[in-house]
Amino acid sequence: MANILIVEDDKDLNAAYKVILESEKHKVKTAFNGQEALAILKKYTPDLILLDLLMPIMGGIELLEQYDLKDHPKVKVLIFTNMENSPEVTKAYNLGATRCIIKSWTAPQNLSKVVNDTLKAKNSQLKLAS
Amino acid sequence: MANKKQDYEGDKALAEVLFDSIGDGAITTDEFGKITRINPTAQSILGYSEDEALGQWFPKLCTAYDDSGGAIPLIDRPVTRAFVTGNIISEKIHYKTKAGNLIPVSMTISPIMVDDQPVGCIEIFRDISREYEIDKMKSDFISLASHQLRTPLSAIKTYSHMLSDGFMGQLNPRQNKSLKTIIAATNRMNETISTLLNITRIESGSVVVAKKPIAINQVIEEVIADHQLTVTDKNLSIKFSPVKDNIKIISDSVVLKEIIGNLVSNAIKYTPNGGQISVKLSTKDKTLIVAVSDTGLGIPESYKDNVFTKFFRGENVIRQETSGTGLGLYLVKGLVNELGGDVWFESTEGKGSTFYLSLPLLPQAIRTNKSVN
Repeated sequence: MANILIVEDDKDLNAAYKVILESEKHKVKTAFNGQEALAILKKYTPDLILLDLLMPIMGGIELLEQYDLKDHPKVKVLIFTNMENSPEVTKAYNLGATRCIIKSWTAPQNLSKVVNDTLKAKNSQLKLAS
Repeated sequence: MANKKQDYEGDKALAEVLFDSIGDGAITTDEFGKITRINPTAQSILGYSEDEALGQWFPKLCTAYDDSGGAIPLIDRPVTRAFVTGNIISEKIHYKTKAGNLIPVSMTISPIMVDDQPVGCIEIFRDISREYEIDKMKSDFISLASHQLRTPLSAIKTYSHMLSDGFMGQLNPRQNKSLKTIIAATNRMNETISTLLNITRIESGSVVVAKKPIAINQVIEEVIADHQLTVTDKNLSIKFSPVKDNIKIISDSVVLKEIIGNLVSNAIKYTPNGGQISVKLSTKDKTLIVAVSDTGLGIPESYKDNVFTKFFRGENVIRQETSGTGLGLYLVKGLVNELGGDVWFESTEGKGSTFYLSLPLLPQAIRTNKSVN
């Protein structure tokens, strides 16, 4: 069980992710743009932020620029976007995002799995192949 | 003697006229890199008059920058490399004009050799600002189209699966069957969009590879999970042999999933019901090898040279399975190149195929790639 903040402007998808993750016993809060998310993050530290990149008012990159992950090393950010191979994804990684998943490829059972894997990887040391 | 002198003067005048008439920018230097000649087009592109340019050290007058706006060190400048190697070098770089603007140019620099010694060089370059602008518009369009086409698909896929997984109550068998058709069609649409977008990116040179440490076993598990429904539907068995120690490699997980997803999807598509598929990981000589095998139709000997060609589909495949664009393996090849890897296959018609993907394990290999960029 983990505390998860979903930041997704598409109301239907936001609602769907909430249902799916709550069915896995996670505690879920939702925001519909970066600005709403920032307001929530002022008084709440989730284990994981499920973050869309392209959103009105404030997008995912701007959120990560303002919510410095260096100050919140335990918070994992799972980028959920439909813009793979884009400079935005590279920027998100540079700002500390943990993983990037393509929304339209991801079935609900995979969403839960990806979230759980990302959460498990939280304190692990990265091991490079040699 | 007088005639020879006249001929020489005539040749020299002609050479000067020809040089000045070149429609692209043209600059020559002596063996020390000092500018000895600059034609009017080069003056116009760079903003320096002939008087300002002649005698100046070329790398100083005309500083060069890479795509991200970083100054190219003198040692890496094409002019330096042309002198050092004696080779002709063609590249796309940016020059800073007298006004301080960075302009993209496509340039070719050739050493001028006398008795195997470089006595200077000649550079021809062209302002490609317009091409850059078009490339950027194309790239922006791809990103936008990618997002806009996929947004509705995300909702269709998520809610279809939620229905299928019983989030909205149990469905009867007819409803379930209809839903599976919707899910399969959504997956096909997703694959087609991804393929077309990625091919456009590869062909426009705008693939963005975001390399970071990724657990390769996990990537494969996710790819297999994405295809589980079709595997079950076709009564296929799929076996995954992970690599030991949960090795992490430096790569782009999204690009990698696209590559392996294509190979697995092909294996599923071209293997008759009840067949077997395996994905095996191994390491060899600092290389990760991914082997995707099937007991499918196989590739006839006569088609083997064309497998990675755009729009190629074997006759034996077209007879059996009508859907398919012939772009999947062309895309795989292009994306594998972007990751600095290699792809090849072994196949026997009627027995099956194994596609191999090799990727560098060492971070050094990635650093080398980056320095090339």
